[in-house]
Amino acid sequence: MSSFILLAITILLAPFYAAVIQKVKAFFGGKKGPPLLINYFTLIKLFKKGSVYSESTTFIFKLSPIITISVSLIVLLFLPIAGSQPIFSFQGDVIFLLYLFGLSRFFTILAGLDTASPFEGMGTAREAFFSILAELTLFTILILFYLISNKLSLFAYFGKGQSIALWQTIGTPLILVILALYIVTLTENCRVPVDDPATHLELTMIHEVMILDHSGPDLALLELGAQLKLIFYSSLIACLICPFHLGSLLANTAAYLLILLGIYGMIGITESVIARYKMTKTPKFILFSFALALFATVVILEFPS
Amino acid sequence: MNELFLSLLLILIGGLLPLLLSRRFNAMKMFSILFICAGCILGLFPVAKGFFSGSKLTFEVDIYQYFSISLQMDGLSAFFLFPILLITILGAIYSFHYMNKPEKAFKTAVSYLFFSLLTISMVCVVLANNLFTFALAWEIMSLSSFFLVIYDYEKEIVRKAGYYYFVFTQVGALIIFASFGILFTFTGNLGFSSIHIIPENIKLLVFIMLFIGFGSKAGIFPVHFWLPHAHPAAPSHVSAIMSGIMIKMGIYGIIRFYILLGSSAIIIGQIVLAFGVITGIYGIVQALGQNNIKRLLAYSSVENIGIILIGLGTGMIGISLKQPLLAALGFSGALLHLLNHSIFKTLLFMGAGAVIQKTGIETIDQLGGLLKRMKVTGITFLIGSLAISGLPPFNGFVGEFLIYYAGFIGISFMEQSFIPSYFIILSLALIGGLALACFTRVIGIVFLGEPRTKNAEIAKEGGKSMLIPMAILSAACLFIGVLPGLFIRMAVTASKSIMVVPEDIMLSNVIKISSNITFAALLLFGVVALVFLLRTFAYKNKTITKSSTWGCGFTKPTPRMQYTGVSFAAMILDFFKPLAPAKIDHPVISGHFPKPTYYHSKITDIAETNVLKRVVKPILVVFDKLRWIQHGDIHLYIGYILFAIIILLLFI
Repeated sequence: MSSFILLAITILLAPFYAAVIQKVKAFFGGKKGPPLLINYFTLIKLFKKGSVYSESTTFIFKLSPIITISVSLIVLLFLPIAGSQPIFSFQGDVIFLLYLFGLSRFFTILAGLDTASPFEGMGTAREAFFSILAELTLFTILILFYLISNKLSLFAYFGKGQSIALWQTIGTPLILVILALYIVTLTENCRVPVDDPATHLELTMIHEVMILDHSGPDLALLELGAQLKLIFYSSLIACLICPFHLGSLLANTAAYLLILLGIYGMIGITESVIARYKMTKTPKFILFSFALALFATVVILEFPS
Repeated sequence: MNELFLSLLLILIGGLLPLLLSRRFNAMKMFSILFICAGCILGLFPVAKGFFSGSKLTFEVDIYQYFSISLQMDGLSAFFLFPILLITILGAIYSFHYMNKPEKAFKTAVSYLFFSLLTISMVCVVLANNLFTFALAWEIMSLSSFFLVIYDYEKEIVRKAGYYYFVFTQVGALIIFASFGILFTFTGNLGFSSIHIIPENIKLLVFIMLFIGFGSKAGIFPVHFWLPHAHPAAPSHVSAIMSGIMIKMGIYGIIRFYILLGSSAIIIGQIVLAFGVITGIYGIVQALGQNNIKRLLAYSSVENIGIILIGLGTGMIGISLKQPLLAALGFSGALLHLLNHSIFKTLLFMGAGAVIQKTGIETIDQLGGLLKRMKVTGITFLIGSLAISGLPPFNGFVGEFLIYYAGFIGISFMEQSFIPSYFIILSLALIGGLALACFTRVIGIVFLGEPRTKNAEIAKEGGKSMLIPMAILSAACLFIGVLPGLFIRMAVTASKSIMVVPEDIMLSNVIKISSNITFAALLLFGVVALVFLLRTFAYKNKTITKSSTWGCGFTKPTPRMQYTGVSFAAMILDFFKPLAPAKIDHPVISGHFPKPTYYHSKITDIAETNVLKRVVKPILVVFDKLRWIQHGDIHLYIGYILFAIIILLLFI
């Protein structure tokens, strides 16, 4: 039961946390910024609206938001939120989840190309490229996790009695992993310095430009899907930072929410202090995370605990 | 075995009949297809019976004193017979509406003859139980497929492709037969059963020779480059059969002789794995750069052969390390991926064939918007693309999942297999990502957006006999993806011919993996259905308007402004430049009144350019110098013969 409540809390808080980033960025910019509930208002507004569809599009354009949000939801079902038992878990689920993200990417890219717009084509090409590199990091991290735990499921990594966390005996190399995962989070969720979610209608963006033609409830589903994806990746980092066995469920949940706040704050700070990299530089940035993960693997291979 | 012979006879009749009926085009096709299909369906029964009961069928007849035809069906051959027979049925049905040129009736009839010969010879290759039978069937297979490729021999490009294929297939066969010669010198007979007695170091030599020979058929880097020439040249159902099943005969050869050699040297597994990794990544990077849809699919076949080799290599390493679970997962993953690939690659080639038939265009960047005009083709092609990218809930995911699983298990035996495991997992991840980019590109440019040319605009749906096989194949993709249990078990049963599969641990693992995949697929369907309902609810009583695509304020967009396949792939190809160097011809725009300019780009195949430059050219130079031996003077030729006989008399 507690897993379901935690899942509901996580889903409901995803838009709030996304607003935290905006707030931090506003603070650095010396602005007041939008209210913390802005994303809820936006979602409600979008759900109330109708939609405009381009004449070029087919059913794939409408299917894409459904797949995106479905994937984000399923992925959360496998996540041990605050160290609790996830709703589903099986040996090998991590591979399935990574491939699910692939499925959602497949349809996002197709929806972008479906509109026949040159801008969206540009965004899709970038999305396809950068995610290939990010996947390398993710699978390297999985290899490392397998080295430590001999298991292939999120619950085995981060559930009760978990062995993978910063302040376990295996801890130190995990600093590198956290950094690598942070870079992947920025990449996969299209944040600065890979992509800039704030720029609209420019040739510099990836995710925002791919969903340029979506409107109304479809757009709301896409936005919510993106927010859920971000909270999934951030939760992974949170799990790595802190093993949630503080005794009571309440303490675990509080710690989890606080750490999430910290991570989102960190993303906000990152976005405020660095500019988006040139597109040609981005692959190097992503491959840096691969190098970090690889190095951590080598360290753990040489000094198994 | 007799039932199987009857089925082969029916297939042969199906091939011979059109020669007599070529006056009546449709009747000819109809009868031929009927006989071929009936033969294949009839053949399925003994195959299924033999496979599931685990019994071996054998047949042997001596034709001369030394040569005997010997056939045997074990689990591995039966596993290969399923796709051969099933895909042939669908390919034959597809050909009914695809071969639609009554003015070329006799040519079509000949094509059906070779089609049936190809099927029969492939069946014989997997059944062959001695070196002689294998070599015979192998040659008939190569030659009949060669004649199928040059169907359109009036075109120069087709003749060139045929020439490429012919050279490759004969040089490959030469190396295979040479290794058969080595085997013969050590064993003294042509049987399969005594091969394992040869010394260990010779085994390695023989395996490497066979790997090159079979690799040239399967399309392993660097001897793969006949595929991108032959596939676009051949009719689409032939490319489907060749890519779907014929190139797998190379894989069959590798597995069969690996079993027969019985060597457990770890180097063999490492070689196979290394070539798998290189072939997989190279194939998909090249595929991404192709602009001809069938060339692209050919390179994607190269990639999938790479994945199959990765699985095989994992299995072989597992055997060397005496880790039955690792080995069984590797082999069954490879075999299952092979089965899956024969399904979705056939589907994709059929889709490409429909597109080419209806538009007359093979270039991706000249198509567009076909999903609206060719609904069934578009949707089945989409399913095939999802499957080939290895995405759940389709069948491509299942095979790759098994290989991933094997790779992760390999990590546990750290000293010997950490590095191989590392390569298995990361190369699969990289290939998966690139395949996704490659196939979103095909779907996005060919089937979505706006038509880029007149021909693409007026395209219509293909004939029924073309659509039905595609629908069946895409249903199979989904079925195996959701309920993989039976198919994983089949792959495990087939792996029993390769190794002793420990029943207990394997069974529990198979049940667990397949039920997990089924559960995951159903979960996906459930959530998607739920979200779909919610979305329908959210759109209740809403105003939906149609408008043109938002062009950022630009009001007169044209189809020419769409992103093209070349630009979509440009960034990725730039990153992988060493693997796929691009030849770009683009005069710089300069001056105040610049001249009109153009942009040509072509991805070159580094294997092709290097082999042509460093191997073929020197050989030609040497042989040019020896031309004087062949002077045309018959007296001297008789002299050669006399000379040869005298030399032989001295030595023997």
